[in-house]
Amino acid sequence: MSVFVSSIAFGLVAASVLAIASVGFTLQFAVTNVLNLAFAAVMTASAFVAYWFNERGVSIWIATLAAAATGVVLSVFLNRAVYGPFRRRRTTPIGIVIVALGMTLIIEFGTQAIAGPTNVSYRMSQGRTLALGSFRLTLAELAIILLSVVLMLAVHVLIRFTRLGKAMRATASNENLARNSGIRTERIVTITWVISGALCGIAGAVFGMDAGTFGATSTDLFLVLILAAVFLGGPGEPYGAMLGALVIGLGTEISAAVFVSDYKDVIAFVVLLAMLAVRPTGLLGART
Amino acid sequence: MPHMDTEFGTRRRRPHVIAAVVALAGAIAAAVVVSAGATAARSAGSLTIADVAPFTGADAALGPTYLVACDAASNAINKAGGVDGSQLSCKSVDTKGDPADAVPAVRQLFATTSNLALVIGLTSDEAAAVVPVINAQKTVAFGMTGQSEFDHIHFPYFYRLVPADLAESYAMVAIAHFKKHYKRVALAFGNDIGSQTFVGPAIASIKKAHMTLAANETLDLHATTFRTEAAKVIASHPDVILTEALGPAEGAFLSEVKQQNGGKMIPVIGTSAAISPDWYKSVAAAVGASTLSQNFLADNLVIDTSGPAYKAFKSAIFAEKGKVGSTGSFATYLTAPGAVHLYDGINLAALAMVAAKSTKPSDYRAYLEKVATGKVVVHTFAAGLAALRKNQTIAYVGPGGPTRFNSYNESNGIFQIDAYTSSGQVKVLGNLPNAWLAAVR
Repeated sequence: MSVFVSSIAFGLVAASVLAIASVGFTLQFAVTNVLNLAFAAVMTASAFVAYWFNERGVSIWIATLAAAATGVVLSVFLNRAVYGPFRRRRTTPIGIVIVALGMTLIIEFGTQAIAGPTNVSYRMSQGRTLALGSFRLTLAELAIILLSVVLMLAVHVLIRFTRLGKAMRATASNENLARNSGIRTERIVTITWVISGALCGIAGAVFGMDAGTFGATSTDLFLVLILAAVFLGGPGEPYGAMLGALVIGLGTEISAAVFVSDYKDVIAFVVLLAMLAVRPTGLLGART
Repeated sequence: MPHMDTEFGTRRRRPHVIAAVVALAGAIAAAVVVSAGATAARSAGSLTIADVAPFTGADAALGPTYLVACDAASNAINKAGGVDGSQLSCKSVDTKGDPADAVPAVRQLFATTSNLALVIGLTSDEAAAVVPVINAQKTVAFGMTGQSEFDHIHFPYFYRLVPADLAESYAMVAIAHFKKHYKRVALAFGNDIGSQTFVGPAIASIKKAHMTLAANETLDLHATTFRTEAAKVIASHPDVILTEALGPAEGAFLSEVKQQNGGKMIPVIGTSAAISPDWYKSVAAAVGASTLSQNFLADNLVIDTSGPAYKAFKSAIFAEKGKVGSTGSFATYLTAPGAVHLYDGINLAALAMVAAKSTKPSDYRAYLEKVATGKVVVHTFAAGLAALRKNQTIAYVGPGGPTRFNSYNESNGIFQIDAYTSSGQVKVLGNLPNAWLAAVR
């Protein structure tokens, strides 16, 4: 019983990391319809930039800002120099996916070439362990959950209560109509890549903190979890991505506690497939 | 008819062709990165040793480790005049740690390297897939895998100077039982082929030693956190954890164990794979160097840490310092199985070529055993070369000790117990008596 309760706590931490990444991914997808499979590779590169600052004495929480900046730069570059030109030429979605896979290889192997093959760890203290019975979390894990909650709230406020958010929703809904209504959609797309790039960079640093040890290829499977959370919640739906992350995060850790840990990720995907069989558009996706 | 852009007189390209070109550029970039450190095979008058191992992917630290041994050995051999005037050079072949990538990479190696004299590396990630290919090409290979299938299937050209996983499992349990008198044992091994082969023999051995199997957790090497797995291990109250999980998994799992156990590390016994600079750097950063030094032991084949063989090996290895990327304590290479045994394998092969008066593997293979079991004991290629020129029979004894191949081309020595100091140096706590191993087999 105690391991089961502990796994709920662990699942919340896993869900928090996944939520930051999934919301960033789905924002990009919603506004641009680009399945940016290089997202996880950008996370890794950002995590290593945070590591570079952390090794020079900067607190990892401050170095996360550098990771966010890296995510922004790489994401905007991907949009402007890679995906944008292909979109303008009306490349098919599968063509964009192939391009994204190519960029994944370039960024991932480039990171490994620069950072080396050795796995690294951030210099950070986990802090005291706070326990409520078997529900145990360290201060660092609580901080990750809190950061995720703050970012999700920020995304919620942006989407619901700002003009920018309104413009993003309009562009996501119908880009041509939004443009004809006077919205500068190219600018909205760029701003979306900036926001999602920042979330991507922060997700990379938080991923590194959560994993404890990471290398250039550590996010390979994590991308699949991101896709699972996004499509479980409904592609292009930020609130769906948050919910999907919670289901996947809790599902993987609880299944490791209840069943054998070998299959924890498999069970998460079984849940995903079962949900999509019942509701193909995802939990919060619009029914067609 | 394709659409013609009449304004510019050029044909419009199809976007998805460009998309495929970008993807191809990505693959080429990956290949360029991997081959950046490789030394290209030279033309006639040189011999190539191929390091077939992961250089990218989760086990990317292994290939470069073996390359250090290859460069150290080949440079020392070249200084002594090479093999009948031919200079040795090392070439990296990236298997990405995946059999699906390894087989095409090895086939390409044979297609493009006409002066290939020897293959080294071959980890448990890819050995089962590529050893038959290499053997069919009649090329001698020294491998690092301890997989149990090679204990029973004979590949005439495939040799191992490292212990079978079966033997290492017994050694780990013997250390836990006889050296430390532990009663409750938890197992935590990675879900790759190489690590999982330890589990069955370890369980049988624990039972034989009348110890209790407290927990058996499989660590998904692609997972990023192991909180629940660590919680399950801690909840079983083990005295010790036996483990092998390559890549970032080991550090991530052990740091979770320490953290959830109130900051206290449960003692750990690892395999010989843990005696490597990259493993130490990764895990020490995760749990703390001091914690690791106080709570970690590993089994390893006996390796000389003094004497003429060790002196020559140390000199050769340290000549490579600074040529390899940041790997942590370089001195750990002096006891790392991947460095010691492949260095010995290359020296054995080079001496066999001299003795056979041929660099063709099909010719010199028969001399591998002969140059290990002759009359005059030598500890370096140069000394062996001098003796062979006097028509003496030699017994090469390198830092890995004497070589005696069994019918499956495996040579095992005695096991020793290794630990790390808090500065990352490996210290030998003693040899593992054969009686201990026999008691748990």
